[in-house]
Amino acid sequence: MPWPARALARTVLLMAAASVVIFLCTAALPGDAADVLGGGRAAPGELARLRAEQGLDRPLHARYLDWVTGVLTGDPGVSLITGRPIGELVAQRAGVTITLAVAALAVSVPVTAALAWAAARGPRWLRHPANAAVVAGAALPQAVVAAALVAWLSAAWGLFPPVSMLPAGEPAWSRPDLLVLPVLTLALPIAAYGAALLRGAIADVVARPYVRDAELRGLPPATIALRYVLPMIAAPATRLFAVTLGGLVAGTAVAETLFGLAGLGELLVTAISTRDVPVVQSVALLAAAVVVAGLAAADAPRRRRETARP
Amino acid sequence: MKRVNGSAGPVPPVRAEQDVVTERRPRAVLVLGAVSGTVLVLALGGEAVAGHDAVAIVAPPWSRPAPGLPLGADALGRDVLARVLAGGRDLTLTSLAAALTASALGVAGGLWVGWSRGRLGRAAAGAADLLLALPLLLLALLAVVALPGPAAVVAGTVLGGTPLTLRVVADATAAARHAGYVEAALSRGERGGAVLLREVLPAHAGLVGADLGQRLVLAVQLAAALNVLGFGPAPPAPDWAAMLRENLQGLGLNAAATIAPAAALAILAGSVAALSHSLATRDGLS
Repeated sequence: MPWPARALARTVLLMAAASVVIFLCTAALPGDAADVLGGGRAAPGELARLRAEQGLDRPLHARYLDWVTGVLTGDPGVSLITGRPIGELVAQRAGVTITLAVAALAVSVPVTAALAWAAARGPRWLRHPANAAVVAGAALPQAVVAAALVAWLSAAWGLFPPVSMLPAGEPAWSRPDLLVLPVLTLALPIAAYGAALLRGAIADVVARPYVRDAELRGLPPATIALRYVLPMIAAPATRLFAVTLGGLVAGTAVAETLFGLAGLGELLVTAISTRDVPVVQSVALLAAAVVVAGLAAADAPRRRRETARP
Repeated sequence: MKRVNGSAGPVPPVRAEQDVVTERRPRAVLVLGAVSGTVLVLALGGEAVAGHDAVAIVAPPWSRPAPGLPLGADALGRDVLARVLAGGRDLTLTSLAAALTASALGVAGGLWVGWSRGRLGRAAAGAADLLLALPLLLLALLAVVALPGPAAVVAGTVLGGTPLTLRVVADATAAARHAGYVEAALSRGERGGAVLLREVLPAHAGLVGADLGQRLVLAVQLAAALNVLGFGPAPPAPDWAAMLRENLQGLGLNAAATIAPAAALAILAGSVAALSHSLATRDGLS
């Protein structure tokens, strides 16, 4: 099979597998949607009626096919709690999460590059501190980073409002001062984690003879980095970028909850705690779709290069 | 991380002096091991040395530190020191259980896949790769739908961490398959399983230990995230991560109520990560 067909087949397979995992996890719930609708106190007869109404008495595979057909035709269903269409709920929340994710990636990419370079190839005095920062930064729970940033930038220096109640209906990017702390909370652990992964790849590449040659020829470090090292780490870096991007759809949950922003992560968490299964399934599938699409995109340039040079 | 294969011909091995990361520092392992051990013991047994009851209301909300209340009071006026001392036990126990489960499964699977190199093994490795495509926090959040919080931490760590362990151990085992000490044991007539347990596994103790540390850090991060999101122990039980959420708004009134649990989590995760890193660098793995 040529690579576009193979990549497409792989993407479809991955999405199918992800949708099965997501459906099984949520369908394994001991109390089902009828319990939620009945408020936990419904009589058995009432429960049976609600189950029939929701189609919950049908076999698992039929319900899975219904769900997948619904998602593919653009109708993922309605929330059990509010009764509103899921598409509408997601559209309403997506702005905040996309803004957070894009800003966090924009901050973390240069920080990742700088940290990885400092740890692998920086001046000698900088390598140990950079390595320590990478190890510690990748280990810290996100909530600790959030607390440290609030304590430092908000409470001690008074730079940003600590908890950012975004006025309803206002787009997130209209109040950048509210976004600085959540964006840094997301970006710093990502940068440290990315640097921890890329550090090894960079150390591998810079040990190669052609990099040594370039150094001996007296090329400036920036030229060596861009022309000789960057192309070699492009594949793992794009892969990392794809996984990070998908991780952010669920990963914003902690930052959104701590800083009071109503985004997709917060929607997912609320839906989980209220057992709003259709919403959980849709948001989780959306996150998985972002990862799978990102992975396919990350694979594309490498595949093309491989086929071009047999 | 996979090696990057380029077009530059054979790659010379990286020599140790080129890279400070591969310096041998056995003493760092001992020191960091002692620090991590102390932190774990404190996290698990801290409740015993707490002066106050961790759930009793003893002062006005967010009272500043005072004699008898060294870290002040939290959002509801409970003793922060008592809550910090008691609030690490469940989180640490859950994380330890999750990390040990993920690591044990990954090591067993990795030894098997790396040794047998059969079609089944490759299929298992492929399935493990598939799991890596799903974000870890998402897996744990999905698990929380059906399972209680601690079980979800274990499930998330196993789903997200076991594939990584499996891959690392499988690579190391496959590389050791034709090493001299393995060939010698096999030619003595020892069985494959015995060689794996008595020769291959001890030879990779540093690798397995470093990997276990990474799983523990992952589990602590997951447990902290789930507990911050409200899927941890039910209030009023003390928990470091839940304390962060409870007290973040009172940072201007009593900063210690937020900083103390944050520092506890940071020291726990940081010391284990540093120990794991020093184990990996001692064995020249990083």
